[in-house]
Amino acid sequence: MTKAERAMRWFVTLPPAAFLLVFFLAPALIVVVASFREPGEFGGLAPFTQPTVEAYAFLLGDLVYAEIFARSFFVATLTTLICLALAYPLAWLIAQSPKKRRDLLVLLVILPFASNFLVRIYAWIILLGPLNLLYTPIAVVLGMVYVHLPFMILPLYANLEKHDAALLEAAQDLGASAWTRFWRVTFPLSLPGIFSGSALVFIPVLGMFAVPELLGGTGDILIGNLIKEQFLDNRDWPLGSALSILLTVLVLALAGVAAWAARRGIKGAEALT
Amino acid sequence: MKLGWLALFFWFALAQAEDVLYLYNWNNYIGEETLARFEARCRCRVKQDYYSDNEEMLAKLEAGAEGYDIIVPTGNAVESLIRRGALRPIDKSRLPHFENVKREFRDLWFDPGNRYSVPYATSITLLGYNIEKMRELNLPTDTWALIFEPKYLAKIKGKVTVLNSQRELMAAAMKYLGHSVHTTDIAAWEAAKRLILAAKPYWATFSNSTYIKDLAIGNIWVAHGYSNDMFRARADAQAAGRPFTIGFSTPKEGAVLAVDSFVLHKSGRRPDLAHRFIDFMLEGENAADVSNVIGAGNTNAAAMPYIKPEIAREPAIFPPPEILGRLEMLRDFDPKMRRTLARMWTEIKVR
Repeated sequence: MTKAERAMRWFVTLPPAAFLLVFFLAPALIVVVASFREPGEFGGLAPFTQPTVEAYAFLLGDLVYAEIFARSFFVATLTTLICLALAYPLAWLIAQSPKKRRDLLVLLVILPFASNFLVRIYAWIILLGPLNLLYTPIAVVLGMVYVHLPFMILPLYANLEKHDAALLEAAQDLGASAWTRFWRVTFPLSLPGIFSGSALVFIPVLGMFAVPELLGGTGDILIGNLIKEQFLDNRDWPLGSALSILLTVLVLALAGVAAWAARRGIKGAEALT
Repeated sequence: MKLGWLALFFWFALAQAEDVLYLYNWNNYIGEETLARFEARCRCRVKQDYYSDNEEMLAKLEAGAEGYDIIVPTGNAVESLIRRGALRPIDKSRLPHFENVKREFRDLWFDPGNRYSVPYATSITLLGYNIEKMRELNLPTDTWALIFEPKYLAKIKGKVTVLNSQRELMAAAMKYLGHSVHTTDIAAWEAAKRLILAAKPYWATFSNSTYIKDLAIGNIWVAHGYSNDMFRARADAQAAGRPFTIGFSTPKEGAVLAVDSFVLHKSGRRPDLAHRFIDFMLEGENAADVSNVIGAGNTNAAAMPYIKPEIAREPAIFPPPEILGRLEMLRDFDPKMRRTLARMWTEIKVR
């Protein structure tokens, strides 16, 4: 690598790196620091004396909070699985359709983004009311799936579209049935798409508070709502920060496991080709 | 000629730059005509920003929002702003109409001597209901039992909403159990939590704003909420020609009273205009608008003759003395108590 190339590399990576440093890492550090402080009398933080783990002790010493985490992970998992089941055939169909029509179909997938997210959720309130489904857990999952479905379709489509049709032909020549062709060729090759789609759905669902607030009933509280309440209603920043940190740690751990699984899956797929 | 245009331009620019009053107010909390009258009188413009709850307003100020001349916080938020040193003292010599403020709303606990705040309007957190349904099912509407006692709730299961607010809902339960909303007795709050948990299966949802629409449409029959909102739900149902009427009343066990006051923010650039505005709003005719238009209670004695008789007679908007004595204003707890209550609230939401 020449000097010019190296300089160019710095030049290109510096702005995004600086952006992440300022707008992601610094706020994240503030949240970490806040979680070890004491709440101020009128909100905010109390004047600093010494770090305290009180917020964490409060959260970990109580099963109520574990229950909300468990419930949120359940809803996120369920939403991800439903999205996957709905998105996979659709993404496959789009990938199979003639090149000319594909762009139009992808456009249709992202078309809902043209209207505001809250407006679309309010539309669901009108739809679900007469069906007696409003203010139920079903409504929450429905809303979550609806909002996040495009985030599953797009990475899957991007992946499926690139598959080499020759592989399937070869499998067919070798006597593989339709199911075997899918299960032994298409599916393993699409694993990276499945993993990135799942991450794009699972993680935002965990933090989403608007959907349960608007569509959910008296029992449908998720971590997102709990965190929002600490900051806005209860003015307990340290507790809200500690909740955010716990959530981040759990999600990172999960993402680590998923990445590891994905690597293994991709290796398996590579061995196949 | 050119010079003339230039002069005119500068005159406009100066007029614009000089006479603008920045008001940070609740959504829909002042009549448009009232504002127009003030603008005509002061030959200035009023620019409004809105908030939908005190916490939102406090958070925005805490984050450094500046330039608001006047804010309209509720009692506990006034106290909080005073103690943070965020307010400018009010110069009563510039408020000749201050005497119009009713005695019972002067000198309140959050600002003894009214050094920083001038009361504007009140609301009560109470019960709104579908009058015909309540009559049909033979349910009492003057008690919190309606939303807390399973024997009544069984008849209206899934047709009740309560506020999604730890402070308000737990306060209602505390009043029903005969406690003050200011007590720090944990056992009393635990009892309130158990009462709520026992009633929760009968409620449709926690709602802070959708209940206005739901009541007016007929989706729900009972809502725990603010008197102004019930006033609006009633008007909406009437305007839509629904076959039912919305009523609202203060439970006999007592309820939460909110007193919203004008205060001057330190960052405001026009305290002179701000004082003129407050004094204008203290004149009876102008003060009456908030009751006539949005159904808020009035803290102004001179306003009463200008208020429509049917609104002035409404006990849920203008509580008679025996009810007023049973109303309490919310105050802030210390952080430790807040955390304890938040924990109970989380349990209420989860179980």
